[in-house]
Amino acid sequence: MREEAGIVTRTTGPDEGRAVGVTTSGPAKNRPTPETSPPAVSRARRRSVFHPFVWSPAVVVLLVLAVAWSAVADAHPYLLPRLGEVGAALTGDPALFLTNAWATLGIALVGVGVGAGSAFLLALLMSEIPVVRRAVMPFAVVLNVTPVVAITPALVVAFGFGMTPKVVVTAIITFFPVLINVATGLRSVPVPVLHVFRTLHASRWEVLLRLRIPNSLPYTLAALRVVLPLSLVGAVVAEFVAAGSSGGLGTMIRNSASTARLDHVYAGVACLAAMGVLLLALVTLAERRLLFWHESRRSTRA
Amino acid sequence: MTAGIEVRGLTKRHPGARPDRPALQDIDLEIPHRRFVSLIGPSGCGKSTLLRILAGLEGHDTGSVSLLGESPRRASRRKAIGLVSQTPALLPWLTVRANVALPGKVNRRSGKEVDPPDELLRAVGLEDAADQYPHQLSGGMLQRVAVARAFALRPDVLLMDEPFSALDEFTREALQYQLLGLWQRRATTVVFVTHSVREAVVLSDEIVVMSARPGRVHEVLDVDLPRPRDKDIVKGPHMHDLEDRVRASLQRAWKAGAAPDDLVPL
Repeated sequence: MREEAGIVTRTTGPDEGRAVGVTTSGPAKNRPTPETSPPAVSRARRRSVFHPFVWSPAVVVLLVLAVAWSAVADAHPYLLPRLGEVGAALTGDPALFLTNAWATLGIALVGVGVGAGSAFLLALLMSEIPVVRRAVMPFAVVLNVTPVVAITPALVVAFGFGMTPKVVVTAIITFFPVLINVATGLRSVPVPVLHVFRTLHASRWEVLLRLRIPNSLPYTLAALRVVLPLSLVGAVVAEFVAAGSSGGLGTMIRNSASTARLDHVYAGVACLAAMGVLLLALVTLAERRLLFWHESRRSTRA
Repeated sequence: MTAGIEVRGLTKRHPGARPDRPALQDIDLEIPHRRFVSLIGPSGCGKSTLLRILAGLEGHDTGSVSLLGESPRRASRRKAIGLVSQTPALLPWLTVRANVALPGKVNRRSGKEVDPPDELLRAVGLEDAADQYPHQLSGGMLQRVAVARAFALRPDVLLMDEPFSALDEFTREALQYQLLGLWQRRATTVVFVTHSVREAVVLSDEIVVMSARPGRVHEVLDVDLPRPRDKDIVKGPHMHDLEDRVRASLQRAWKAGAAPDDLVPL
């Protein structure tokens, strides 16, 4: 997870120079220029993504993995498809993968929208009305420790083979991390700032809008960083169980596995991985735009 | 002269603390309007608690508190109280200008006009930093923004809780003079909590020396240095006499209070 995040940060690196230039135009003048102060650590950090120093270790690992894969695939063609076959499957029928990926992504995103959205609203209610917190929290915890996958067959019985059970599973999986993070973010407001608001006789609504919600933004985005890739897990698992006619990568992978089309299976997995990286990249982008003021972003820039 | 702040027989007990040692006991204090008063005393004497009660952030058990004849809550309802704490307490996602403008944005029902932020930033010498964000400024600059934000309301009462204690000596002195300049022009009643004898003498008209356990007003000392105060006055011999008097009073206050439980008695 962490490495993945790191790679995403670097691949979107070229933007970084621009973003930094915009947000810190002020103190840039008293920051030492790279030419005059080249301490080893900061120089390594400032290197471009295209510098071999940055990308070569990952490429070496990639090559080692590819060689190992090929060795296994050559020895046991019924366990692993050759990389070339996977690539051929992807390029041979891109429309198949794109439509299925689109279906899965749609379920994942709608699920996140429903799950994270309702969690955010509930967190707001919990922070404003303590009774709601005491009433809801135990059930949220139970919901979190329950392996939601186990409910999926029951949901399919209840909602049929359409989109609904899949969205519900994804929403349940993404609900809890968002609830906990946002609730923490809404509560962890610095006391001196709260005192300033109170001496101004700010209303609860004003405290919520001007202080608590902006303060919870880093927590919310941290939750999304966890929850967006998780939503793909929810969507795929739901598709495994409710393999209806509506398609999706999960359905495709299951059907391909039952017909021993391993190249399609792994091509589907590759698509899922790419989608996960894409979602993480989106969160990273949002963090860079919205959290320029937060410690988490400053420390990477210093 | 109207009473700016009037405290009568105020007692405050922290819940769960020893009942015979209230945080504040029988505090009587009368601060005329537009005076600069410092609260000084050993740690645990309740000076910050008293400030929070004045700000309406904490309640009290017995006695009465009034700011310009009304309760702290009513005073805050019409945005008459400015507060500066030890930390700048700015909103990191807003620019400096938006932070200074914040008091005007909340509680609009009070109908109180606030000064334009740029004017205040000019007064604290930060007009160039108006579009920057708090994380781009130094500690001293941040505290100046906090002071500007508090003055933006034209508060009747300005409450400051060790606002400069986290700053280095030079920054601190510069900010003291800046504060005096602002106060001179926008005369308000200031209650300033500090640990520093020198700071108290340089800034104040009156110094309230408090003793701890229980928190009580030990002595109120007048500071008869002329105003406006410049560096010559502050360096003069009378200044040192005053400092010595405050120190002696603090010594007596320290002995008057029961020894803190976490210290070995001298």
